Amino acid sequence: MTQVLAARAGRITPEMEMVANRESVDIEVIQTGVASGKIVIPKNVKRKEFNCCGIGQGLRIKVNTLIGTSSDRDNIEMEARKLAVAQEAGADAVMDLSTGGDIDGMRRQTLAQANVAVGSVPIYQCGVEAIEKRGSVVAMTEKDMFEAVEKQAEEGVDFMAIHCALNFDVIKRLKISGRVTDVVSRGGAFLTGWMLHNNKENPLYEQFDRLLEILKRYDVTLSLGDAIRPGSTADSLDGAQLMGMIIGGELVARAQAAGVQVMVEGPGHVPMHHVRPTMLLQKRLCNGAPYFVLGTLATDIAPGYDHITSAIGGAIAGAAGADFICNVTPAEHLGLPTEQDVKDGIIAARIAAHAADLARGNKQALSRDLQMAKARVALDLDRQIGLSIYHEKISANGGNGDGSHSCAVCGPQCAAQVAAKYFGIA
Amino acid sequence: MTQLSEALDGKITSAMKEVARKEGIAPELVRQGVASGSIVIPRNNQRRGMAPSGFGAGLRTKVSASVGLYGSDAGIDVELQKIKAAVSAGADSIMDLSVSGEIDSMRRQTLVSTPTPVGTLPLYQAIAEAAGKKRSPLHMTVDDLFDVIERQAADGVDFLALHCGTTMDIVQRAKKEGRIDPLVSYGGSHLIGWMIYNQVENPLYAQYDRLLEMARKYDVTISLADGMRPGCVADSLDGAQVHELVILGELVMRAREAGVQIMVKGPGHVPLNHIEATITLQKSLCRGAPYFVFGPVATDIGAGYDHISGAIGGAMAAWAGADLICYVTAAEHIGIPDVAQVREGVIAARIAAHAADLAKGLNGAATWDLKLSQARKDLDWEKQIALAIDPQRARELRKGRSEESSTACAMCGKYCAMKVVSQYLGASERSC
Repeated sequence: MTQVLAARAGRITPEMEMVANRESVDIEVIQTGVASGKIVIPKNVKRKEFNCCGIGQGLRIKVNTLIGTSSDRDNIEMEARKLAVAQEAGADAVMDLSTGGDIDGMRRQTLAQANVAVGSVPIYQCGVEAIEKRGSVVAMTEKDMFEAVEKQAEEGVDFMAIHCALNFDVIKRLKISGRVTDVVSRGGAFLTGWMLHNNKENPLYEQFDRLLEILKRYDVTLSLGDAIRPGSTADSLDGAQLMGMIIGGELVARAQAAGVQVMVEGPGHVPMHHVRPTMLLQKRLCNGAPYFVLGTLATDIAPGYDHITSAIGGAIAGAAGADFICNVTPAEHLGLPTEQDVKDGIIAARIAAHAADLARGNKQALSRDLQMAKARVALDLDRQIGLSIYHEKISANGGNGDGSHSCAVCGPQCAAQVAAKYFGIA
Repeated sequence: MTQLSEALDGKITSAMKEVARKEGIAPELVRQGVASGSIVIPRNNQRRGMAPSGFGAGLRTKVSASVGLYGSDAGIDVELQKIKAAVSAGADSIMDLSVSGEIDSMRRQTLVSTPTPVGTLPLYQAIAEAAGKKRSPLHMTVDDLFDVIERQAADGVDFLALHCGTTMDIVQRAKKEGRIDPLVSYGGSHLIGWMIYNQVENPLYAQYDRLLEMARKYDVTISLADGMRPGCVADSLDGAQVHELVILGELVMRAREAGVQIMVKGPGHVPLNHIEATITLQKSLCRGAPYFVFGPVATDIGAGYDHISGAIGGAMAAWAGADLICYVTAAEHIGIPDVAQVREGVIAARIAAHAADLAKGLNGAATWDLKLSQARKDLDWEKQIALAIDPQRARELRKGRSEESSTACAMCGKYCAMKVVSQYLGASERSC
């Protein structure tokens, strides 16, 4: 039984309890949220117990990170280190996006070592194997696609990005609108190529019920892949993107009706003034399903600093309703991230998520900032370190170390110390 | 004559022309902005060898970097290196915030080391000199303070940060309402201590006309500093902050009447849901005066990463109308930034400024993004790197994270989405 079916049947699962405890909210809020589809708790029934998290309305915004091999770099030991770094840096979930080397081995390693929800994109493996065995991604068969989903579900993957909301209607809009960067989603690109070459509708769209059946069996949360997300700010909110979102909304309704947990992936490159409309449209069209954004990146011009462009976009998106932020690393658009890039990306995304939680009035978030402010006023360095987003970079701060507000310039008769006495904080 | 009085006389100065040229707008628009006070062009009439820059409505969002001597380990050479790094990373303005050591010498060298406008905070030097000569800044006289202001103006400083609005009323309000962090601003804290110890009103408020006279003489732009800026998100938009903003609005009007260019400094620590309101309040109360925000950082807990929490807040603030962003470095709340952190801080603030210009639809902003995205689509790496906000960093990362021979990047390797789709979307598409 899936979480959503359990919730609708009035049952409270251990996973719901865990989420309620971690968020300090009433269990009824979680149960109602899961039942209505506004909260998902990705956890495959085959997966052993881990720190599962709830994603959606009323909850802390979660951060996802990406690991995985590529054709240019298939070092699974390095990816294992990235996973460890990611968990240490506070990622709430991790997706294995491997496309190189031993993809099965890599996924099994991730599932065995992760203590957080694990996601994947089955079409990657499917496409790569078609290229290896039959010479081209367009040689994938429908059977391959569903088998890849089934195999990965059977192994315990908790959520899967699947590009169901891509069909010929969307591609038609794409051709008419004439984008700057046509399709930047790799899965979307595989499927677009496959559809155009074979002149066949996307099987993951056409046989959506077949897919739902597999996902339901394992309680895999469907993350509707955003095949047509804008890859440049100029493409944001164009006809193709919106058609994809409308189709996505229809599929969300079907998944929810079938008792399958579902969330929706979002962009991508979005100028700041498009972020709120994007969130509003998604929530409206997709029946309040949790929104999982990649970034969003507030500008295209900062390769090398896209953890920062996406922290800007992600914070605004979170404040406007996004529930799950996929981190972007400084290596985005340039290459495959290192362990340090992954860490920097996660911390930037966590700052964005936290800033958005504050704006949304999340009580845990507000309380943490207040404690930090009080620790600063009290010049209590240990508490400041404990409360900071990531402790590593904090070493010596604490004014002059004697617990007074005196500065280095004034010496014993410091004017700031007089002010501190006046305010009763000396 | 100041830029403001010239503009009011209908004259377009060479500085206005230079600003118009750099912004790609008509000189008359710049003149109108300066005349109405919505644009300032900080440029001391004693300053030599600088390129005028405009801050304000309708102009590109600018970025300011702060350096300065602090503590016994500080040296002028290192601070000059930071200036060089900041300017080469694209800072539009430099503030020398030295609080100790050879303050005069540092300022004079700063003025000849950057073509950008230079700002200072004279109270810091007044505090340091009183601490030295009179054993404590508490014994500083009003004349001591004004002497330092005049000295700095005469040296050619283009804009002066002055806490004119931190009045006794406001200090009392902060105490009464139980502000979590009443001592945020270094200058403000010392000034408040001085006011309480001597039981007198803030001289920068009480003798504001004296200040205006000096500013007019040198065409120094006043940057009204906010002693009560929130230093934690819980204090944002509290009575003390808003009260001070009301006073600052009054002081803006008086400066304009005196023909003195003026802008207003802002927070600080501001939660995202307060940013638009903060900017709207400032623009309303201060009648459209340029707003110079410090960050703002969007959360209190980003220590070690406050260039990022500052970029988040700065982007939102500039989108809502802030005109000049003071960078926040990764060393904020922890210590003094090194050269690398200065550079990184400038780039982070520039990203925020550009994201805001893009959202505001500022003329030309979208073109930059479009060009880079087209180069990305074309897999033209040289062009992407050349167009990047920090080409040096982009090149390093490309080298370190991908095979240089690869046409794609190591993230997707041979399964690059751009390549796959281009093959199937017809001949009209650009080839890779």
